Amino acid sequence: MKKHSKHKSSENDAYEIADSRVGDTNYRPGRTSGGWSIIDIAELGMMTALLEAGKHALDFLPNVELVTLLLIIFTLHFGLRTIAATFAFTAIETAFFGFQTWVIMYLYMWPALVLIVWLNRRKTSVWFFSILSGLYGLFFGAFCSIPYLFIGGINMAFTWWVAGIPYDIIHCIANFTLCLALFRPLNHAMNYILKITSR
Amino acid sequence: MKKSTKALIGIVLTAALIVSFALVYNRFRPRAGEGTKSYTLEVVDDAGAQNAYSGKTDSEYLSGIMDELVAEGDFTYDGSESEYGLFIMAVNGVTADYDTDGAYWSIMVNGEYGQYGADSQPVSDGDDFELVYEKAQ
Repeated sequence: MKKHSKHKSSENDAYEIADSRVGDTNYRPGRTSGGWSIIDIAELGMMTALLEAGKHALDFLPNVELVTLLLIIFTLHFGLRTIAATFAFTAIETAFFGFQTWVIMYLYMWPALVLIVWLNRRKTSVWFFSILSGLYGLFFGAFCSIPYLFIGGINMAFTWWVAGIPYDIIHCIANFTLCLALFRPLNHAMNYILKITSR
Repeated sequence: MKKSTKALIGIVLTAALIVSFALVYNRFRPRAGEGTKSYTLEVVDDAGAQNAYSGKTDSEYLSGIMDELVAEGDFTYDGSESEYGLFIMAVNGVTADYDTDGAYWSIMVNGEYGQYGADSQPVSDGDDFELVYEKAQ
């Protein structure tokens, strides 16, 4: 049976997830056995394609990206399966640009975002996710410097982080603004798509 | 606590963090030494041909030296702004196109790979810079 979860609030910044499957692990249309259904795999492909499009659409603006917002939306609608999309996204980016240090960062940074959002999936405020998105951008460089701890020690990691702080601040402001502006329309679109495609 | 109050507190805390990060950057950002500094800059192109330049500069960053050499007329480069700073695309007419053949211009500083883009790589007295055409493995 389909689960309908509605986040309703008297506050005017609340959003609504109709037909959410988050938290309902039994609902899988098209599922025939354990593991991933055909629909799951199709959704994974669509998520990955949208992440790639979102990444490259704004490539001309340094550190302005739609990946964070899309992952938040995906996680709220598809749950932890979104982590698979982050790995697929990283694999495609690696195919495009080759294996560099950032690949290691992507392998834990994007799944960590999905996990954080999933743990806060009951939050109903668009402001909450906008602030979360901004903070994720602000701390992106700090957490991405972790591999440099093992490569060159604390000094190298710290220097690398500090050199990127101006870009982290841009990332923060851009993430916050994009999430505040686009969360509702994207969430609405996702609700609509899931509604017309559900069986 | 009302949600609007929580949102306001969240925004204020985020803004405070941004200011803190900016202060950390201002305190620890890469800085160059003052005064006249000697340098060498060697360009190694796609055929392995080397072209060496040397001189003295007051430029804070490597891109300043490159701009000075351009003004002197025996050196050209082309680049674009990226999230990592100035991304060098061509030196002395040799273009490294990563999208087509995985090639790029790397910056070596005193024999080691530089940690910064050309516009944030500090210049210190006696530095040996290299711009090397390389291909991704």
